Amino acid sequence: MSNAIEIERLHYRVGNAFEIKDLNLHVPTGSIYGFLGPNGSGKTTTIRLILGLLRPLTGRITVLGDPMPEQHARILGRVGFVPEQPHLDATLTVSELIDFQAAFYARWDEGRAQELVKSFELDEKRVFARLSKGQKAKLMILLALAQCGELLVLDEPTDGLDPVVRRDILSALLTYVSERSATIFISSHLVHELERVCDWVAVMDNGRLITEAPMEKMKHGTKRLIVSGAPDEITNAPFRILSREAANGAGENWVVGDWEPSMTSFFDGLGATLRDVIDLDLEDGFVELLRSFRTGAGGRA
Amino acid sequence: MSAMLRAILYTQWKWSRLIVVLGSVAGFAIPLLSLQGAARADRGALQAQELLRSVQSWGTLYPLLATALGLLIAIAAWAADHRGRHIHALTLPLPRWRYVLLRFAAGLALLVAPIAAVLIGASLAVLFATVPPGLQGYPFALAVRFALAVLVAFAIFFAISAGTTRTAGIVLGAIGAVVLVQVIASMANIGLDLFAIAQVLLAQGIGPLAVFTGRWMLVDV
Repeated sequence: MSNAIEIERLHYRVGNAFEIKDLNLHVPTGSIYGFLGPNGSGKTTTIRLILGLLRPLTGRITVLGDPMPEQHARILGRVGFVPEQPHLDATLTVSELIDFQAAFYARWDEGRAQELVKSFELDEKRVFARLSKGQKAKLMILLALAQCGELLVLDEPTDGLDPVVRRDILSALLTYVSERSATIFISSHLVHELERVCDWVAVMDNGRLITEAPMEKMKHGTKRLIVSGAPDEITNAPFRILSREAANGAGENWVVGDWEPSMTSFFDGLGATLRDVIDLDLEDGFVELLRSFRTGAGGRA
Repeated sequence: MSAMLRAILYTQWKWSRLIVVLGSVAGFAIPLLSLQGAARADRGALQAQELLRSVQSWGTLYPLLATALGLLIAIAAWAADHRGRHIHALTLPLPRWRYVLLRFAAGLALLVAPIAAVLIGASLAVLFATVPPGLQGYPFALAVRFALAVLVAFAIFFAISAGTTRTAGIVLGAIGAVVLVQVIASMANIGLDLFAIAQVLLAQGIGPLAVFTGRWMLVDV
């Protein structure tokens, strides 16, 4: 499987305050790749590195087969981008912004742009500054989709939007992906939203990648185990122990990653009893991953 | 490429059309006003001197207008990009030098209107005025000089406006350093006049700012 985005051993630093260190990321072509992380974890900085807006200190970034930032102009012609904050000229109208954008993209699809203007119910004569937050987000998505890029990079595109607008935007994205087999790289801290649409997910915190895995593995591999009679020291566990704490009554609550049903036999060898295996949704798994990473208990998936 | 230039030109026109219109009106009016009262056939030698003084005093407005136009069009060219922290510009699929060139070319295209207004105003002023014997009208030379001044002013302010706050800090820091060195040299009675040197280098001979200095005469001997 080829990758739309490949990042190898990337290192980037902004002064002494923040750094991205030893980042490896592989976004499969045709996937919808969720990039999760709390605010300030380095998601936007990583996206800016992917788009060539920042230069890494060391490491390699390849986007759609070309090196970034060396080939940034060539790559950006094939990439639609929606930033976290709308950055367009506030004095231009919707139609002026569409015309402006169309002039720069060889594969601009005017038919799709007009279709999205209608389906998003955008007033073409209204200046950008007078659009609501939801309308601005829709326009940004419209501009990214009408470029007909092979890769869409979306930086928290639905953050702060009402559920109706969020649904409209996600629906337009899914339609686009199904029609064009495009790759979507979408960052967010809205875990439930990504859970619905993504087939790959990565979690970042404090400039480090905590995990990168297929969504199914992430969702079904993270479990809460109710265990009793386990020794304090656990070695050679076939799964990752993300957290371990005393439960109400007898036993302990363990949150584990990379879990598979066949691993229940591991507890027999410990002389412990596995009393229950509870499914966690992505948000719970995400929170536990962050907790374990911050306390130093976790590692790479 | 032409579609990109058209798109950028349109946006810059929208941001700076008031400046362009006002600049063009001023550029058209100044030459006409400078020859006001010269349309009488009975002027002798003394009146010619009077006329030259009038033309010279109005002439100080040309470099001021050129500077103002260069400054305002340059600021307008980058204002929207600065507000958007250049994210939109940097994610457009073209080399950055080409984007800068497009913005510069669009700014120059907008400045053609006030330059043409000066040429037309100056030509009409000379055409309808009765210039005393021994004096000549130089509308074309004046317009060319105005165009050069506008180009220099626009280029300088365009480069400064393109920079970040850090760049502005470096420029101000360099100026501050020159002032500081001059103050110290004066206090130590060292015969160093950096301002005079700067003036010679920048505003005299082939200095880049020389076009702004001297007399701006629509009518001269």
